[in-house]
Amino acid sequence: MRIRRPEPHTLAGAYALDALDGPDRARFERHAARCQECTREVTGLREATARLAAAAAAPPPAALKEALRAETARTRQLPPVTHDGHAAGRARPRLGVHRLGPRRLGPRRLGLRRPALALGGAAAVAAVTVWVTASPGPSAGPPSSSQEIATVLTAPDAVKLTARVRTGGTATVVMSHHHGMLVFAAAGLRPLPAAQHYELWLIGPGQDQPAGRLPMPSHGMTGPVIASGLRSGDRLGLTVEPAAGTGHPTTPMILELTL
Amino acid sequence: MSPPRSPWAGTPPGADHADLAALLARVAVGDQAAFDAMYDRVAAPVFGTVRRVVRDPGLTEEVTQEVFVEVWRAASRFDASKGSPMAWVATIAHRRAVDRVRSEQRSADRDRRAAAPMIAYDDVAETVADNLDRERVRRCLGTLTDLQREAVTLAYYGGYTYRQVAGLLGVPAGTVSTRMRDGLIRLRDCLGAGR
Repeated sequence: MRIRRPEPHTLAGAYALDALDGPDRARFERHAARCQECTREVTGLREATARLAAAAAAPPPAALKEALRAETARTRQLPPVTHDGHAAGRARPRLGVHRLGPRRLGPRRLGLRRPALALGGAAAVAAVTVWVTASPGPSAGPPSSSQEIATVLTAPDAVKLTARVRTGGTATVVMSHHHGMLVFAAAGLRPLPAAQHYELWLIGPGQDQPAGRLPMPSHGMTGPVIASGLRSGDRLGLTVEPAAGTGHPTTPMILELTL
Repeated sequence: MSPPRSPWAGTPPGADHADLAALLARVAVGDQAAFDAMYDRVAAPVFGTVRRVVRDPGLTEEVTQEVFVEVWRAASRFDASKGSPMAWVATIAHRRAVDRVRSEQRSADRDRRAAAPMIAYDDVAETVADNLDRERVRRCLGTLTDLQREAVTLAYYGGYTYRQVAGLLGVPAGTVSTRMRDGLIRLRDCLGAGR
């Protein structure tokens, strides 16, 4: 299905990071089954990813341990793998990760309640695979750095919004109120003459604040750009403005999003 | 040095791993006390990692619980020749978190999601005991190139696939996969050398 595929071996890092989705993961595992060096490498890299896990440590709620005790009491354990028996063989994971069973614990079994909240941020952004790094052009807003972008995209409270731009194209916004920042990117914006540019605005109760000038589209993609100073209740607007710049919107909004 | 709560903080490599491996061996034969002890040792890294990836507090608890049930169920399959016990547990945790996020993502209703209320985490509760690990990892992440670091952290903590990371950073997917590998190798060497 996909046209460009990296050599399987170069995917060892992505595999150790669980950054391969289903087909890519299966392909790498097939390759690793024949490649001892790959298996060894993944094993080593997983020591590094485990340290990333340790660095993220946070204490779980005490109730979790109690609920778990009840759960293990009624969960049958897998027998050990023997070297001559049938439990071994193909079931034995070559990469040191056994296959996780399909079972999922429902809330009833967990004894824990989970609000029916949908996921924000990371999950939502996943569909956006087309962004390009902003050129450090004369943006009115703060310069976009991929570090800042990563901060917003991985923020615990990140939320994604998408909307059509009235004059053509689709805008995607990922925002984090915690960081007071948003990442804006667009695809398919109508090209503008050199004397004009697209300008982002944060529209608050008091006044409209310039939030950044979009770089020229490249291959149909615009952005991502970072806008900061986001306050709750703000809306995001997009207008076409003269290249000379302006302190307030001078043309109708071609996009308006409630943040 | 005070007794470490985390499997690595300040201990010589090996000693603590052996300890945890011994606990897992007892868990494999249904020893509940060993399971409790093992839980106390690895619960914070597991919970914290799952939380970083899935974000939703309720889902974090659910996935964390699934991870430990899985550790209980499959403890007999832990093989010390294929890596440390912490790497084994962390791998189960991270993969389960990532898989859950991706499956929720596939089935999610985008409009409802966009309208979902924000969730604020209480990071204040995070313990001081883990700071040593965090500091060491932070320092070693600092030795990576920007692209290596971003590729590694977006994948691990953000739960993105390397293709998604490529899109987010505006670089070819092949470059991202290479940087992930190079970055992890460098991270591994730095962390190993820092012991």
